[in-house]
Amino acid sequence: MSTHETRSHFVAVASIAAELSAVMDVAKEISLAAANAKAIAFRAGEKAKGFQPITDFINELAKDTIELVDDINEHAFLLYQLTVKDYRFSEANKRFEQVRQITGEAPFRESMTEPYQQVRYKMQECRKKFNIDISRLQEQLAEVMHPARAARVIAANSRIEASQAGEYLQSLQAVAESVDHAAQIIHEKVQKCRSALSAIDLAQ
Amino acid sequence: MKMNKIYDGSHQWIMFGRDTNKPEKIIDTNQYIVKTAKRCLLIDPGGVELFAPMLAAILHHAPVENITDLFASHQDPDVISSLGLWDQALPNAKLHAAQIWEGFIRHFGCESIEYVAIPDNGGTIQLDNVELQIIPAHYMHAAANFNLYDPEARILMSGDVGAALEEPGSPMFVENFDSHIEKMRYFHQRWMPSNQAKRAWIERVRELDVEIMAPQHGRMFRGDDVKRFLDWFEGLQVGIAV
Repeated sequence: MSTHETRSHFVAVASIAAELSAVMDVAKEISLAAANAKAIAFRAGEKAKGFQPITDFINELAKDTIELVDDINEHAFLLYQLTVKDYRFSEANKRFEQVRQITGEAPFRESMTEPYQQVRYKMQECRKKFNIDISRLQEQLAEVMHPARAARVIAANSRIEASQAGEYLQSLQAVAESVDHAAQIIHEKVQKCRSALSAIDLAQ
Repeated sequence: MKMNKIYDGSHQWIMFGRDTNKPEKIIDTNQYIVKTAKRCLLIDPGGVELFAPMLAAILHHAPVENITDLFASHQDPDVISSLGLWDQALPNAKLHAAQIWEGFIRHFGCESIEYVAIPDNGGTIQLDNVELQIIPAHYMHAAANFNLYDPEARILMSGDVGAALEEPGSPMFVENFDSHIEKMRYFHQRWMPSNQAKRAWIERVRELDVEIMAPQHGRMFRGDDVKRFLDWFEGLQVGIAV
């Protein structure tokens, strides 16, 4: 793997971590929005009766998103550690190759055969694991899309219920808008993560 | 990479340096090995860029699996940034380095090499029948710094003390001490932070029987030039940047 490809893996994994951090913040905002909506719906009483169960859905969605993102974050960190290992093995492989080229007729030249083979083996194993972990991360990211889609549907329903809530219309619509907006952001950021992952293609 | 055997008795000391292929902007460094029948101690292994020529040179003297010990006088990249590569190359090795630098040096990569932490008051390294003394040299220049002394070979590896910035192709040993002074002066005045630490180091080293003083940069000192260096250094005011 070239230095350029190694650098692109670091960048891809780091950018995924950065996007996920933003997703986590947004998921927490949804949670807050749910708490606000619950309080408003409680004050609105009968006028917002249809809204009340929606707030529970919103809260559940936020929790699910946060749990999924937590898992993904852990996984992304392990992936980052793998990129560091891969970098170290690649660098060692490159330098061991240089040793081979300049050793000439050194009496103990052959003693480097085993370390050289070991490092190449470790590099290949690391890349296999990396590819498996990338696929797994893609699956996890796909899972995060589900609550985000559901949130948009809930936001749409919230707007309908909010329209029945009289003087609480604006407050509840604001909640619906913030949930919808948050869901869109999650969707965009997760899409970016998936694109970044698709760009990684480790040579075996 | 030039190689120079500087001691040949029951064990050997070999100095490596003056690599003509090193990248231009990288400081030149001296590396040393102490070699017994079955083991090698690599002293101040060098930076990343020197790893390949250094290992290629060692393979003229010993197989890679005989490199059982590394010593780092301090934490600088020109001393030990190649650690991550040695970590991949050496199947069974220990790194002897300062206790307080462990958390920092590990950033270079140290997963299979065992870190043997040296406490502030020093210790010893046993290499088969050879016992090397780890001599405290703190603040000379690093906050934790050690020299290595071989009482049988009468060699003191002095780290940055005695260093000089030389032209490529310069001799391995100081030939005329007086003309060597100007190559060392600014380095010691600027890099060594403490006159108090300097005096403590000189006092300690005067107790040793040193035939060769082997620094990490520049020429080595032998015979009377060792005493000339100590006398000169004693009179030099250091720590000039404040």
